[in-house]
Parts: sequence; structure tokens; C-alpha cells
Amino acid sequence: MASRMIGSAEGRWIRADLRARRGQALLTVLTVAGIVTALIAAATLLEDGTNPWRGLFERGRGAHIWLHTKTVPDVSALKSLDGVTDVAGPYHSAPATLAADRGRKVPISLQEAPAALPAVARPLLSEGRWLDVRHPEGVVVERSFARAIGLRPGSPFTVTGLNGATHTLTVAGLAETGDQGFYPEWAPGLAWTLRQTLTAVEPAPGRTETVTGLRLADPGLTDLIVQRAVFTLHGQVQRVTTWREVRAAMELDNRLLGLLLGLFGVAGLVAAALALANVTGGRVLTQLRDIATLKSLGFTRGQITRMLLVEHGALGLAGIALGVVAAWLITAYALGESGVTPLSPGPHAAITVGTALVVLVAVWLPAWRGGRTPPLPAVPAAPPRGRLSRLARLALLVRLPPALVLGARDAFTRRTPALLTICGVAIPMMMITIGLGCWATLDDFIRHPEGVGQAAALAVRPADLTAEETRERVMADPDVVAAYPGAELDALVPGQTRTVRTRALGTSADPYPFPVAEGRMFRDRGEAVAGQGLLDLLGARVGDRVRITIGGTPLIVRIVGRVIEPEQDGEVLSLGIDSLAAKDAVPPRFYGLVLRPGAEPGEARARLQAQGLEVAQAVNPADRLAVIRVIIVALVVVLALIGLANLLTAGALGLRDHVLDLAVLKAMGLTPRQVMATLVTGTGLLAVVGVLLGGCVGALWSRALIDLEGRHSGVGAGIGRAPTPGMLAAAIGIAIGAALLVALIPARRAARARIPVTAR
Amino acid sequence: MTTTPAIRAVNLVKIYQSGRGLPVPAVRGVDLTVDPGEFVAIMGPSGSGKSTLIHLLGGLDTRTSGEIWLDGKRADTLSESGWAVLRREKIGFVFQFFNLVTNMTVADNVELPALLGGASPRHARERREYLLGELGLTDRAAAAPAQLSGGEQQRVALARALANQPRLLLADEPTGNLDSRNTRDVLKLLSRVHRQGQTIVLVTHDARVAGLADRVVSLLDGEIVDDGAIVRRRGPGGTAGDVVELRG
Repeated sequence: MASRMIGSAEGRWIRADLRARRGQALLTVLTVAGIVTALIAAATLLEDGTNPWRGLFERGRGAHIWLHTKTVPDVSALKSLDGVTDVAGPYHSAPATLAADRGRKVPISLQEAPAALPAVARPLLSEGRWLDVRHPEGVVVERSFARAIGLRPGSPFTVTGLNGATHTLTVAGLAETGDQGFYPEWAPGLAWTLRQTLTAVEPAPGRTETVTGLRLADPGLTDLIVQRAVFTLHGQVQRVTTWREVRAAMELDNRLLGLLLGLFGVAGLVAAALALANVTGGRVLTQLRDIATLKSLGFTRGQITRMLLVEHGALGLAGIALGVVAAWLITAYALGESGVTPLSPGPHAAITVGTALVVLVAVWLPAWRGGRTPPLPAVPAAPPRGRLSRLARLALLVRLPPALVLGARDAFTRRTPALLTICGVAIPMMMITIGLGCWATLDDFIRHPEGVGQAAALAVRPADLTAEETRERVMADPDVVAAYPGAELDALVPGQTRTVRTRALGTSADPYPFPVAEGRMFRDRGEAVAGQGLLDLLGARVGDRVRITIGGTPLIVRIVGRVIEPEQDGEVLSLGIDSLAAKDAVPPRFYGLVLRPGAEPGEARARLQAQGLEVAQAVNPADRLAVIRVIIVALVVVLALIGLANLLTAGALGLRDHVLDLAVLKAMGLTPRQVMATLVTGTGLLAVVGVLLGGCVGALWSRALIDLEGRHSGVGAGIGRAPTPGMLAAAIGIAIGAALLVALIPARRAARARIPVTAR
Repeated sequence: MTTTPAIRAVNLVKIYQSGRGLPVPAVRGVDLTVDPGEFVAIMGPSGSGKSTLIHLLGGLDTRTSGEIWLDGKRADTLSESGWAVLRREKIGFVFQFFNLVTNMTVADNVELPALLGGASPRHARERREYLLGELGLTDRAAAAPAQLSGGEQQRVALARALANQPRLLLADEPTGNLDSRNTRDVLKLLSRVHRQGQTIVLVTHDARVAGLADRVVSLLDGEIVDDGAIVRRRGPGGTAGDVVELRG
């Protein structure tokens, strides 16, 4: 088909050329496919890791809007609203108290659910079984809540209704849902029961409320439909939650991840462009003679350009198609079992179309260049200049072996290809180094958690004890060095419709060791430090005064420093607990515990929990960013392959330029080994220059680049680390070794082949 | 009655720029008319501009000034693409280094011009089978050019040049890279197609090759210094060297 569309002569040539270089064509397809697969898989993992809501919501066909009403609403009126496709419920819902372990009482929300799983807003059963009319005492508990409380299928579930009556139920199963956020960010916890069980726990109809879910055709119309629904139900509606709030509650602070993905995506695309341009360019250069012959036969410039564009573009597009299929297989089979949802259409299309454009642009340039080949087959492609390069003269001066001198001369006689080769190696190497810098940064997070504000590995809540008792018990533990009283509150900031986190930890006299990157630590009441995200949000700078409102109490603080703040996109204000009003500060809500160096937080946590304390372990940002490491490894592999492919092209070109020289060298009496050394030096020297250049630039840039990422993600500059010298040396060593090996293969073959002294 | 010349060059000039920007004239005001069916050999020492001249005539290189008329139509004003279309329809080229497309088989190489000219694949195949049969290469159709000897490659190149039955066959040192036996074979083929009415312009520095032509044009430093038809008188046995007589 294609051949008929572009003329059978061109089709014939394309087929012949592809046949003649099946291996290379396959390599091109696989390289592009690898890049596309890596990009899509990385994007899928990141999206899923940072936004679990989407997957849960899609799988459970969640409702976009939940209306909470006192009485049962008019369902048919809601259903007939424009834009509403389905209605979930109405379900009864009642508040109750769950008796957790060690006598703790936890508020929960019981919600009615049918015995048959509903089609819309369907809870996703992950363990155990669903509700059964034969076992009305069974309840199904939302999974994040069950985890926090320590419930499993079969656990007793003792609830107390508002009337004080206690009912002993059993956990039948655990389920996930995209209709409310995770506990404890979203409280109270949720449990589904049968209607009859709910009525037994809360017999008074006046104490229950009714929830009704609306699934929309277009989520963008949520606000409009909420207004209409509220209007339709004439003041029945008590409150409304929408998918946006649920998503926001579930989302991780993912700006850093998003930025990193963007960086790696751009790196991947640049790498793809480089690889293709290099392969196509190299192929066209080696074919200039054939192309000239075709022109002498009557091929026009446009025909040649189109022919090359179609051939190489088709390889790239085939690679993209293969990559999309491979990524689909990976997400469907390898990742599907762990519940990862395929990438949403937006980023998917962006990756596919982006790579396609990059492929076409990368191919177009060499194709256009090929089309401009003069139709004079006899003219050799740009005669090499004969003079010795400065480097070669230097090599002669220090009396290096002749093979090295000749190789050094070859390396730089053709300036432009030499420069292209160096860039082709240096750019992937630079990106690899930057990737290693990201790796080192993550390592640094783990090795020095205090550098990212996690000096306290554990946080203890007093639970049933008084603050003083808690402090005493905690300080009695051999691993605990310090306990800082703390409170986390939401504060309103001027000009913002939402709240920001205010974290009081330690006192002004004895502040918690926040990692101050700029300015100084707070020393007095009324002083505070802030993350970059908060400074950006307020448009403030270190030294400014800001006015915030905490629980109705205004508080004016002076920001005296900027800290590294990995939480909440950096939108956190940290101050001493004595800066807060007494009502917020006394007693402290929790204690941040600093352990002695080398102590195992998990063990200390277990010991403290055994004493009846509620202990949370800090999650290192590096653990949340663990997926980045997978991406770094994948990218390093792809980039290394690209660098090597570029080198192979350079080697082939070098060989083409030096076929005649080789005959002369042999005639002059160079042994095959010396000829080989000459060729390896020719390509290898460029590779070494490229690797060193890329490594140095990457090492210099990685820190600045990661800091830039940090700044834009709200964490703040100051987190970036360059790759460790050992890591960098190993990377450079391996790269140079691999480059020399790659240069060796064609050189060895060429040195042993019989070379005709005649035609080029 | 005058016939339209197959090709006519009027005051053709080609000046290259040397690396230092100095003009280097390669062809200096050549006037040349070749009639249909004529076999013209262009001779001259190395650097006399004969290859440049034939490249200009085939549109592979652009002239600095002067006119080129092909089949009564002006060709020197054509664009590169215009020349390409003209070449595929009316001109066949044979080069010293054969210049077969390396990644295509012999059959593909010979069919390519016909396909390019818009012939159906079937017609192109028939034409290729006929030409390869004529040149004794039928059994090498599926071979790659690299597998052929120099003489065979040049015969394939000749078949390719004749694929579209061009008005004009331009040959640039077609035997310059062949041994004497292969030279003889290729020359035989050239005389055969000439006898069938093919117009040929051939560049050579070999007097024996030029001896086949109807007319020899001698070039020196880019200018025609001699242009004459040849009359052969066979000596006894005819091997000790033919007597060539030039008639001005």
C-alpha cells in the first residue's frame, strides 16, 4: 500500500534498504519503543502513586457528587438533572463510636449498603467477603481505616450508638472506595452495613442522615450540577462533597514527582531525537553515493527527501506503536495485578504525539540533507583535511605510539562529525549523571532525614494519658534522646480561600532542629520559619511579617528563615509551640521524638506501642519517591543504549571515511593490530571526550537542577546533591570502557578485512 | 532539410571556485552538436574538462553560462527537479565506477529507471528481462552488485542506462576501471546499441575506445581543439593497429 502511495520506484528502494539493514532497522524500532514504553510506564506509575483516587474511582464507578440530606431526597428529580447519568443510593448513614483496642473510642460513620454490590459507587472488596443478609452482624470496613485501627476480616467490631447501646458486630471484609478519602486525612472512618443492622444501631430516624451519590457525564460541570441539585431539593441538603475534595485528600504532595517526571520525559524525548537523528543522519551519510546515483537516474530532490522521511519516519512510528503496545501489556499484566490503572488519556496522548513529532523532526533534518545531495556520484563526501590536528601534534610531541597519533589525527579531521559524535555521547552521559544526582539526593534523604525536616523519626500521641505521663514514658525509653512538644493546626492566610498547615514543634528557647536553608531558626515568640511553597503562596520573603488566623485567633509572626519542607508542597509554617495561643498549645497534641543515632525507629516504635502509646513513624520522602529510582535505572539503561548506538554510527562513518587510508596504512607497514588501534583511537578519543564532558557538566548541573526542581515544587532549594565521587567515577569508567568496546568491534573487523584500494 | 540535433551545447562555460576563492575554469566556451544516432567520443588528457562537460550535458552539474538544447528544447534553464525528470525520460548515464545502488539487487537496479518513469511493475520486469538477456546476465538477476565482477557490474549499469530507451546515452570513462577483456565486451555492447540507432556521447582517454566512435572531439584545457569524423581503412589482418584518418 505504502509503496503504491509514494511511487513504486521509491517503495522498491525503501524495501531494498530495509532488507539490507534489518538489524539496524530493528535496533531503531526497539530504541524508540523502549523510550516510549519507559515514558508511559513511568508516567503510569507516577500517576497511580500520586493520585490513587483516579483508579479507585474508575474501578468502582464512583459518584462525582455526594449530597447529605436529613430526609430521603427526590431521586427521580435528581436523576432527571441534565448531566447526571446515574444515582447511587439514597443510603442511610449514622454516626457511631467504635471501641478500638486498649479501650480507645474512635468515631465512625456507618453507611447502609445493599447486599448485592451496587453498579454505581461500588465499594471495591479487597479482603474477606461482602455483606450478606444471612449474616446481618457482618460489616465491611474501609481499608485505610481498618489498617489504622488494626481490623481484619473476622475481627470483632463493637459499636456504640448515640443512645448508648452497644452492639457487637464482626468485620466481614475490607473494601476500598473512591468516594471518600483515606483515614485519618478523611475522618470519621467508614463502615458499610446492611439496612437492618444500621437501624438496630441507630433506631431513631432523626439521628440518621441520607447520602445520595450523583455520577456525571462531564466532571467539569460538577459545580453547576451541585447548584442545581441544591436548588431542586429546596434546602434539604445539609452538606455536599465532590470528587475534587476526595481527590485532593488522596493526592500526595505530587508537585515534586510531577516535575521530576517532566524532567525525565524531556530527557527521554531529547534522547529519542538524538538517537534517531544520529541513526538516520549516519545512514544518510553512508548512503550519499547511492543517493547521488539515484539522482543521476532521475530522482528529484523532493522524492529523495520523501523517501528517506518515509523510511526512517516509519521505523520511528513503528517503534512508537510497539512501545504503546508494550506499555499497555506491562500496565495490564505486570502492574495490573497490583491494581495500577492505565494512564489517563491526556498524558498518554501527550507522550505518543510528542514522541511522534520528535521522531518526524529528528528524521526530517537528515532526510532534507539527503535530498540536497548533488547528483554527482563520483564526488567523495567532503574530502577530509590532511593536516595534523593540534592534538595529534601534541601526541607526536610526547612520543606516543604512531597508531595513537594517527587515530588522534583521524578523530578531529572532520570537525562537524567529530562535534556531533561528542555531543551524541556527552548528552546521554550528562543525563545519566543528572539521574545519578537524583539518586544521590534520595540517598541523602534516607541517610540524613534531619536534612529534610525529619530529625524526629517518631511522633507520639498521648491517647488516654496526660501529656506529662506521655513525656515521662517516652523519655524513659533508652533510644529516645529528645521529645519536642508539638501541634499541627490549619491556619487561614490572608487572600487565600484555603488553609495551610501550621506546625508548632519545640519551643522558642528549645526549637526543634528544622533544616534551615536560608535566614535563621526562630528564637523568640512570634518568630517562625516557612517552606518555599508557603513563601511562594504568600508572595513573602524571609524577614516579612505575616498574619494568620488559627481557630479564630489571629497570630502575627515574622518569618525569619526558610526551611527544607518536603510536606504539603512546602506550604507549611513552622514555629515554636509557645508562639501559639494557650488553647491551641496546651496540652501538646503530640511529641516529636529524636532517637539516638543508629537506633532502629521500628523497634523503638514497637516498644512505645507496647506501653499503650499511639506512635506514628515518619515516612521519608525518599520512600514516597521510591518509584523515581526505578525510572532512573530504566532511563540510565535507555540513555546508555542511545549513547552506544550513537557511537556505533560514528564508528561506521569513521570507517567509511578511512577505507582508503586503511589500505595506505597497511601498505605503509602497519600491522592489523596497529590499524585496529588507530581506528579505536579515532572513535574512542571522541567518546572519551564526550563522556568526560557529559559527566562534568552533569555533575555541575545536577545539583542546581535538582535545587531548581526543589524550588518549584515548594520543598525549597538546598536538597540537591551531586553524584558522589565514587559513583561518578564508576559511571565514567564504565561508560568509557563500554565506548571503547563498541569502537573495538568494527575496528577489529576492518583491520582484518581485505580492503580494495580502488573505488570508494 | 535539417534534423533536430539530439543535443546541442552553445558556448558552454563552467567555472569552479577553488578553495581560496579563485575561479578555476573547467569548460571554456564549448560548442558541440550531436545528431541523432551519432556516436561521439570526447577525448583529452586528465583535467581537460571532459568529465565536467559530460556532467553538464546530463544536468548533473550546473553550467556557469551558455546554453544546452536537448531534442530541440532548452534544458540549461531547468531546475534541479526539471533536470531529474528530463534525465529519467531521455538520458541514460554510465559511469566509470558503475555506481550501482549497492543495497538493491541487479534486477532492482535495472528496473528502477523504468519504475521511476512511471512504467508498471510488469512492464519494468519485462524490459529488465529483455535487457539482461541481451547482455547475458539473466542468471545474475537476483545477485547483489557486490557479488559481480567489474565487467558484469558495468554491463548491468549499461542495462540500467538503457532501461527507458533514452534518446541519449552519456558514458563517462565506461571502461576506465575494467581489464582489457571486459573493456572489449563493454565496447562490443556499445557498438551494438549504436548500430541499433542509439545516440552515444562517450568520454575516454583511451584511443582504442575512441576508435569505435563516428566522431572524435578532442578537448584541451576546457576547449575543443579538434572535432572530426573517422574513416577506417582496414590493414591486412587488421590487428597491427587500425589506421585512423581524421577529416577536418
